[in-house]
Amino acid sequence: MIEVENLSKTYSGFRAVQGISFHVNKGEIVGFLGPNGAGKSTTMKILSGYLPPTDGNIRIAGFDVVTDSLEVRKRIGYMPENVPLYTDMRVNEFLRFRAELKKVTRRKIKERVEIVKDLCHLKDVENKIIGTLSKGYRQRVGLADAMVHDPDLLILDEPTIGLDPNQIRSVRDLIKDLGKHHTILLSTHILSEVELTCTRVLVINRGKIEASDTPANLTKLVRGGGSILLEVKAPGLDVTTKLEALPNIEDVEIILPSDGDWIQAKIFAKPGIDVREDVYNVVRANNWPLRELARRKATLEEAFVELTQD
Amino acid sequence: MALWTLYKREFNSYFHSAVAYVVLFGSALIQGIFFYVLVQLIMDANYKEASVMQIFFNWPLFWILLLGQVPLITMRVFSEEFKLGTIEMLLTAPVREWDVVLAKFFGALTFFLVLWLPIALDLTALQLFSSPPPPVYWSQIGLTALTITLAGGLYVSLGVFASVLTKNQIIAAVLCFAMILVCFGFSFGKFFQHMNSTTLAWISYVSLPEHLQNAGQGIFDSRPVVFYVSVTVFILMLTKSVLEGRRLQG
Repeated sequence: MIEVENLSKTYSGFRAVQGISFHVNKGEIVGFLGPNGAGKSTTMKILSGYLPPTDGNIRIAGFDVVTDSLEVRKRIGYMPENVPLYTDMRVNEFLRFRAELKKVTRRKIKERVEIVKDLCHLKDVENKIIGTLSKGYRQRVGLADAMVHDPDLLILDEPTIGLDPNQIRSVRDLIKDLGKHHTILLSTHILSEVELTCTRVLVINRGKIEASDTPANLTKLVRGGGSILLEVKAPGLDVTTKLEALPNIEDVEIILPSDGDWIQAKIFAKPGIDVREDVYNVVRANNWPLRELARRKATLEEAFVELTQD
Repeated sequence: MALWTLYKREFNSYFHSAVAYVVLFGSALIQGIFFYVLVQLIMDANYKEASVMQIFFNWPLFWILLLGQVPLITMRVFSEEFKLGTIEMLLTAPVREWDVVLAKFFGALTFFLVLWLPIALDLTALQLFSSPPPPVYWSQIGLTALTITLAGGLYVSLGVFASVLTKNQIIAAVLCFAMILVCFGFSFGKFFQHMNSTTLAWISYVSLPEHLQNAGQGIFDSRPVVFYVSVTVFILMLTKSVLEGRRLQG
């Protein structure tokens, strides 16, 4: 559905995107992750045909984004960051206007507008002026606008930014639902959202793609796929030296004493090895009072931090 | 198709904002006052043969109305889109830049023409309630309407151009007013001395008051038509280039 080869974008000397390449297949829900200023929005603006690339080839549904821009724009639904809308229009009026603009045939306009209003739960505000709607509703109007012409591909730039947890959940469910029939590329900072909705993740940092994999595989990349949390009553230095002496342990981090003499240690083992028993043996041999020993799976957040921090 | 959709939205959007009603009210009021004063003057002077149109358009305050309306109509057309970011939403729909520029231009021009409707009502009233009714010269009325439309087109295109240059509506309005004033200011050139005949010919070529006087007398001159249409098209082309440039900049 999306084929990007060697895409670069330079703004007055600053290289926002540096020769990235990636593919998105039909039916995928791809999460586009990266810190602020990494080039996510720029890439999405280029894909949507708003900005021209400085260099590189981009094809969407087989059409070149630069030379066949109108054909591409007919096939994508793009929701820009912060969802700009005509605040003076009513929801119904706005959606009909957008449907007409996006070449939905006259007979189908009414039907399509009803469908997207249903999908985005906009029925109760259909006659309200957009300027009076709350952020959550505006976000949903933006989403309804992006899908009103039933595009093959949806490009959503931070669809859940500024929403409350309930709204985030409802938008997430909506995206999951849409993913059954559409290809979706979405950017976000909320990593739990990506873990729950996306089939694949692209991590971009400083204009370069750092990783492209399923959320589950990405977390495995992080230091052995997880850590062990240990809480004992013992001097921190002692714990570090004795545990690091074990052959299968790579690193021990002491988290500051949380409660009197109790300390917490985060233990990273070599990939694929369970060291909980070894740790327990060390604790018993030293007679350290033990309060907690638990394995923690790496989160996508840790993967993200590891991939994007230097 | 896209042009028609955009045009409808542009024209309707005027009626969504208070500015439109204020301008409409102001225009109707000023036109009404002029009209009343003019009728009084005509009655006092006991003109028998004067054309109402002719006197109307020689009245100096009339020009202030013409100059003041346009910036208020056009200041928001592009500025607001840039400020709200809606330009991104607009240009990622399958529309061409030309569609957008033309829709904004014709939308503003239509609203500009709506602002002249009170005069038509005033003249109709004069026709209905005076006895005997003054003679109606359709050629004068038609030509005056044409001249106002063409000159309005030029001024509106300047306003649309000013609006594509900035995010700030106030700057767009002031810029538009300044450009219209410069355009219009040329017509006063003939009052300066030391003008040779070539310069005077140029001034009369671009002078809106002269065009309107001719039209008011029922004289059709094709030169102003060519002048207004060609300059308007040129400015709209500039507008489209600036719009493209601003989009490409990001």
